[in-house]
Amino acid sequence: MSGISLILNTAKDALMTQQLAMDVISHNVANVNTPDYSRQTPTIQANAPASYAGLILGRGVSVTDVQRNADTFIENSLQQRQSDLSATSEKEVYMGVLEGIFNENSGRSLSSQMADFWDAWNDLSNNPSGEAERSALYERGSLLGQTFSDLSGNLAQVGKELNLSIDNGVEQINEMTAKIADLNNQIANMSAIGNANDLIDQRQHLVNQLSEYLDVNYYVNDDTTMTVTTGRGYVLVSRDDNYSLSLDGNAVKWESSASSTTDITDTIKGGKLGGWLDMRDTIIPEYNDKLNQLAGSLIWEVNAIHAQGVGLERMTDLTGTSWVGSGNNGVVLANTNLDFGNSIDTGGTGSFTIWLNDGAGNNTSSVINVDGDADSLDDIVARINLVSPGNLTANDTNGKLSITAANGFSFAFSDDTSGALAALGINTFFSGSDATGMKMNSNLESNKRLIAAGRLDATGQIASGDNTNALDLAGLQYRDTPALGDTLGNYLANLEGSIGIKSQSITRTKEYNEVIVNNLKDARNNVSAVSIDEEMTQLIKFQHAYAAAAKLISTADEMYQTLLEVR
Amino acid sequence: MRVSNQSTYDAIKYQLSRTAENLINANEVVTSGKRINKLSDDPIGLVQVLSLRESLSNMDQLGRNISTGNAWLDAGETALGSVKELITDMKTLAIQMANGTLGAGERNAAAAQVEGTLEQIVSLANTQANGQYIFTGTKTDTKPFEIQRNGSGNPTSVPYSGNGTPFSIKIGKTTNVDVGSDGEAVFGDGSTGGIFKTLIDFKTSLESNNVAGITQAMTDLDNDFNHMISKVSDIGTKGVRLDVKEKILEDLKLSYTERKSNLEDADILAAISDVNSKETAYQAALASSAKVMQMSLIDYL
Repeated sequence: MSGISLILNTAKDALMTQQLAMDVISHNVANVNTPDYSRQTPTIQANAPASYAGLILGRGVSVTDVQRNADTFIENSLQQRQSDLSATSEKEVYMGVLEGIFNENSGRSLSSQMADFWDAWNDLSNNPSGEAERSALYERGSLLGQTFSDLSGNLAQVGKELNLSIDNGVEQINEMTAKIADLNNQIANMSAIGNANDLIDQRQHLVNQLSEYLDVNYYVNDDTTMTVTTGRGYVLVSRDDNYSLSLDGNAVKWESSASSTTDITDTIKGGKLGGWLDMRDTIIPEYNDKLNQLAGSLIWEVNAIHAQGVGLERMTDLTGTSWVGSGNNGVVLANTNLDFGNSIDTGGTGSFTIWLNDGAGNNTSSVINVDGDADSLDDIVARINLVSPGNLTANDTNGKLSITAANGFSFAFSDDTSGALAALGINTFFSGSDATGMKMNSNLESNKRLIAAGRLDATGQIASGDNTNALDLAGLQYRDTPALGDTLGNYLANLEGSIGIKSQSITRTKEYNEVIVNNLKDARNNVSAVSIDEEMTQLIKFQHAYAAAAKLISTADEMYQTLLEVR
Repeated sequence: MRVSNQSTYDAIKYQLSRTAENLINANEVVTSGKRINKLSDDPIGLVQVLSLRESLSNMDQLGRNISTGNAWLDAGETALGSVKELITDMKTLAIQMANGTLGAGERNAAAAQVEGTLEQIVSLANTQANGQYIFTGTKTDTKPFEIQRNGSGNPTSVPYSGNGTPFSIKIGKTTNVDVGSDGEAVFGDGSTGGIFKTLIDFKTSLESNNVAGITQAMTDLDNDFNHMISKVSDIGTKGVRLDVKEKILEDLKLSYTERKSNLEDADILAAISDVNSKETAYQAALASSAKVMQMSLIDYL
């Protein structure tokens, strides 16, 4: 090849090259809004020179490669930070839900319900025989119980919703790892014959999305496939294989093969999944436990005082609210399923007094000794049955203590130093042992005159204006309870404060992660994302080169014509 | 530095959402009037607010307890005040009747007046507050005193049916105050001592024209009068105690309310100026973003 044809050939290469370059530019422009797209640049190289007429002459230009502009270090950091950000964002959302559940600005907040409850006891102490005060107290008490169980129900509901999200998240992860495995295959095939830029972008996009769901590590192998593992190294994708996750009850399991699974719940720390798991397994249980402790202490303290007292009338037939558990009637009380079996005195000096009224104005008292470590329900039943055989009958009714007085007789209690009455749910105010089960004792529902505002006097008489018990109960709000080491009100305030602090710190961490992710995104975009201005500039550059190359052809053409016109 | 279109849009999106969020938060403070709208707005302050709210609600309740107590004390004071006057009348009558110039007929006629007074004092001793007997200990639904009469209708004794534990109310964390009374301690048991026995004996002495008995009644009435004065002053002292406590509660309430308000209420002026500055920032961000987004080389080609 020589002379004019050389020029024509060079011009043809130049035309082709500029056109290819503009192809790449148009691809960039088209993908300006494609997420995680890395702009591509043609590698333009002068062709190898050739010798001609004793000279070494350049032989034009060609596009040797199309490169993807990406910085793997930035992409790696971004992907990891994105994982952290997703975890904290999800936690922030759910902490917002918790804050809403414990909202203090509504009139139905737990703290205002508690205040109302104490006020109702005060009101009853001002008028111990008042039916209206009794009804009001009953309503306050059941609303308080309702509020506690609503709160714990709401927390459980959040837990359930989280599990749904986790289930959904696991599916998404499996879908993405399957796609990555598929792309691995395609990229390996395509890399053998050329560049796989766009497929690599797609794969990177999927890995970025995957790290929004959980913390992952990845690296690219020599054969251009990518290996993806969880943060702790469980392999999710290797070449064209992907390993699925599954949700089994509460546990996230990694399926290494069809038959073998490993529980990896505790190893997932990042991504939405990490955030959801942290909420479900750590944060919500912590508040739920505290709520239950508060409710438990409130129930126990109120019942322990209430069991000492007497209402406006004695009882004739009564069944405890707490049961020892099936087959446990012969087991010592401290080891049974009783709600507060462990709180029964075990010193051997505890007792309560049962007063029997014969209907003719005579009250006789009998002291029943109880030792939580030595006595079973059967022992207590036997002891009560010795009080006045035929007139007062105790029974084990499906594991609950029941006491019945003969016709005309009635009974009441006093001086419970053992805690046995409160533990057995006899003459108590609340039933249940935690927030979920907190209710009013059903015996009070049918007869609010049994609310024990007063106590029996030394001769076993009821004085309708006696408010000793009500005053004690109204004073409970000021006392540190042994189980909490704080007053009930302070404990609640601290519980709510700790939710606020947790939420605040999560929000701050999220904002911090957000700034870092934004900076990294910026850095990534500065390298990889498309700038229209830049592409337009390039376009004009190549357009001019294209026009110049065309001019070369027309010049070569003119040269041929000039030659042909020579005769 | 390369600036990609994506970076520009991302930055604008992030900045606009940040400034908008700031504006909304500032607006929430103004519209709710509260500095703390969520638990996380100021958790430490919130714990203090909750404890102040609890104390305030408790103070309201103690205030109600005190007003119940005042109703009891007022009823007691009024009743015993009247009893005191009736005893004074009886003393005057006894002095008149002890006069040697009077005859059996006149004394007999006065006996009816004594019985009337006895009935009046018994009815005062059965005074109720809020539907509860106040001189009956804690057996507040039991009428404490009932006149027992013999076959001929003459009063023989006025036995006490209440008990010895006075009714009390709660006025502080650990302070209870007796606002009712053990009727026996005030009026006696009606057979061995006290104003009822004095009056019954006085009446008998008048009917039997027993001057020595009448003189004895003068002494007894003096004692009963002094006893009654001490009881009235007892009640008065308690009333003062309740008043003082009420004052303290009111003062505390004022200072607690102020502390609570400092903690949870928004400083409206500051909040509004905050909204204004956030609004300016938002508007500026909108205006400049709109300009930046418009610019492109394409417009000039």
